[in-house]
Amino acid sequence: MRATRAVADVRHLPRTVFGNRALMWWGTMGFIIIEGTTLFICAVTYFYLRRNFATWPPQHIYRPGLVIPTIQVAVMLLSIVAMRRVDRATYRMDLATVRIGLVICSLLILLMCVLRVFEFRALKVRWDTSAYGSAAWAVVFSHSTLLLLEAAETLAITKLIFGDEVEERDLSGVSDNALYWYFLTGVWVPLYIAVFLSPYFM
Amino acid sequence: MSAAAAPVPQPAPLHEDQERVRRELEQTWAQPPGLWHWLRSVDHKSVAKRYIVTAFIFFVLAGLEAATMRAQLSRPENTLLGPDAYNQFFTMHGLTMMFLFAVPIMEAMGLYFVPLMIGARNVAFPRLNAYGYWVYLCGGIFLYLMFFMNTGPDVGWFGYVPLSGPEFSPGKRADVYAQAITFTEIAALVGSVELIVTIFKNRAPGMTLNRMPLFVWAMLVQAFMILFAMPWVATATQFLAMDRLIATHFFNPAEGGDAILWQHLFWFFGHPEVYIIFIPALGFVSSIIATFTRRPVFGYPVMVLSMIATGFLGFGLWVHHMFATGLPQLGESFFTGASMMIAIPSGIQIFCWIATIWSGRPRFTVPFLFVLGFVMLFIIGGFTGVMIASVPFDQQVHDSYFIVAHFHYVLIGGAVFPLFGAFYYWFPKMTGRMLSERLGRWNFWLFFIGMNVTFFPMHQLGFEGMPRRVYTYLPETGWGDLNLLATIGAVTIAISMLIFLINVIRSYRGGLPAGDDPWGGETLEWATTSPPPHYNFEYPPVVESRSPVWESGGAMPVVTGLRTDVRDVLVTTLLDAEPDSKHRHPNPTIWPLLTAIATTILFVTLIFTPWGAVIGTPLFLLGLLGWGWPRGREKREQQLVESEA
Repeated sequence: MRATRAVADVRHLPRTVFGNRALMWWGTMGFIIIEGTTLFICAVTYFYLRRNFATWPPQHIYRPGLVIPTIQVAVMLLSIVAMRRVDRATYRMDLATVRIGLVICSLLILLMCVLRVFEFRALKVRWDTSAYGSAAWAVVFSHSTLLLLEAAETLAITKLIFGDEVEERDLSGVSDNALYWYFLTGVWVPLYIAVFLSPYFM
Repeated sequence: MSAAAAPVPQPAPLHEDQERVRRELEQTWAQPPGLWHWLRSVDHKSVAKRYIVTAFIFFVLAGLEAATMRAQLSRPENTLLGPDAYNQFFTMHGLTMMFLFAVPIMEAMGLYFVPLMIGARNVAFPRLNAYGYWVYLCGGIFLYLMFFMNTGPDVGWFGYVPLSGPEFSPGKRADVYAQAITFTEIAALVGSVELIVTIFKNRAPGMTLNRMPLFVWAMLVQAFMILFAMPWVATATQFLAMDRLIATHFFNPAEGGDAILWQHLFWFFGHPEVYIIFIPALGFVSSIIATFTRRPVFGYPVMVLSMIATGFLGFGLWVHHMFATGLPQLGESFFTGASMMIAIPSGIQIFCWIATIWSGRPRFTVPFLFVLGFVMLFIIGGFTGVMIASVPFDQQVHDSYFIVAHFHYVLIGGAVFPLFGAFYYWFPKMTGRMLSERLGRWNFWLFFIGMNVTFFPMHQLGFEGMPRRVYTYLPETGWGDLNLLATIGAVTIAISMLIFLINVIRSYRGGLPAGDDPWGGETLEWATTSPPPHYNFEYPPVVESRSPVWESGGAMPVVTGLRTDVRDVLVTTLLDAEPDSKHRHPNPTIWPLLTAIATTILFVTLIFTPWGAVIGTPLFLLGLLGWGWPRGREKREQQLVESEA
């Protein structure tokens, strides 16, 4: 080990930072890129396979239902507003607002999971009916795995944040979870257009 | 230096409390002996060493598979391997070399040396790093267990449909192929996130982006390529697995699916994969050349831009693997142009290295010999690459031994030679012992000669029409002599590998002590002990130039103020690496291993039943919960550091 000379002192630097100053924010971004790429590939596959059919959906298959999927999109967009409030409250260390907001978001994501079950039904095709069904299920199923993971994480964070000894770092974790939430709900809008709306105009 | 990091008016009396600091750091970052602690380790060096050793074992296994195939092909109508076994052998060889050796070992070198080179104490997410290794290990063991049970994949490393689909590959071999890839992709993706965040946020103060070592740049470009490339093959193999298990129709033309879709998805990953393996090797070469010519690499900005350009262009070439599929001619012309264009950044780097050697004082040590070998072999592989980028030429040699020769020159010459150079270069840092130069020279020359004797004749075999992936051939073809020559070359390579192994074992036990900086290196890993302590550096170093060890003079500038009683690390800003915050790193834990086991249960059961998801997913979520839930020591330490304020 070489001899050293001190040129600066970092003992006064903060421990809890938010946004892109935090390590976890960057880690979350990494996984957003991976999962965003995966969803993009599913969408590419969906449109690639479109070329093999004269009509879309193929003959003898109904177009997907729109009511439940549209409600789902509305719930997701609404949840962004709720999560944004939670996110801002973490910066202010406003624990009360964070707690209330997380309970609301937990309920919303549970509602999204329930709606997702009905969304599969709204596809009106099975995964093994044709390549159209396989591709449509791939998009919705891939997004569902992420929805399930985010639901589990949000519920765990909500439980943590209601504990007796909430630390500053926990609030930073809530903020990082919010980043993933924006991705999960925001990315569904183009996927909803692809799977549920595009069969009406393609 | 940032305003947040207050300048110290007078040099702090480091020497007085250095002993105390060292003692406390030893205690805080210690990895006690014993299996239990070994399984819980989250030290980037321990994890990376496991990666390297495991990947090397897989390299040996893949080499033995290659040697068996060469023995089979050494004369016409040989009967050592039947067609079924041969199919499994060449598939296992390709899968192992690409997914269990090349990518993991390149990432592992980054996971070991990047934190040291940027003056960090560990990678950004140590537990995730450990998880990546365990998943990789489980995937490799699973693949080989299936192989030993005669259920090894037999559809080639690119597993084309419809051959790998349910109609033409009944049984579970193709499912093993698909799921084994999923394991290794997860490990690679986890490693790439580790590297990116570590490089972005844990660089030593003062190490601005334009002072980053070229090796770190190489690992950054590689990590981004993994991030965008690996999901393609992971998704494609999941589609394949679903076609086989639950009767989806992604690749089934009878129901509107598409076999060419598989090729697009696979090669959109598969071509960048070549650069994912090759770009870290560029980093090895730059590190070795700088040290052994005793001057910084010529044209630093051009070198960085060339690596980034290679990373981008690597995504625009995938169709040149599909020239024989009957794509539109305009598309083929575009991909011919793109394929030839990638020779430009590669050529620029070769010229920069030549300029560095020309203007430096080269020392012809073993690592440097491997670099010279790389330049020669890679140029040959590059030339044949430009040849097959041309559609008419490619149509003539497609699926022939010419292609086998080409990609072995590129991959062995372009990646394995620099990797061996890197072993010789950094072995002293990792172990504190020097490898034998004498055995190293034998290793190099036998490898270099054996490599050329094995693969150069294959160009001619390709011209003579020998197709790849045939388990035997008739005497009338006249291919026997050149095949025998190639087999003699393979034996030579095997001897050189044996010498390497002997060298490693002997040197590890009783090689010459290396000291901290045996080669007179340029970058920060040479500023700490060999092997480095668990905490890497007592104080985070401060970087004032691109060659911090050469230009820091007597005493290394450092920052003080991190705690020694918890695993404290410094977080810096992305562009200028100014000190920004302090972060308490997590302690060792068994949960990454348990989560990897849950992942394995999920993937393996999914081969046999879709209910595997119902069994495996809750276990996986349980693993994540146990991993992240704060308790015990973690909670006490967090309260301790937050009470500072």
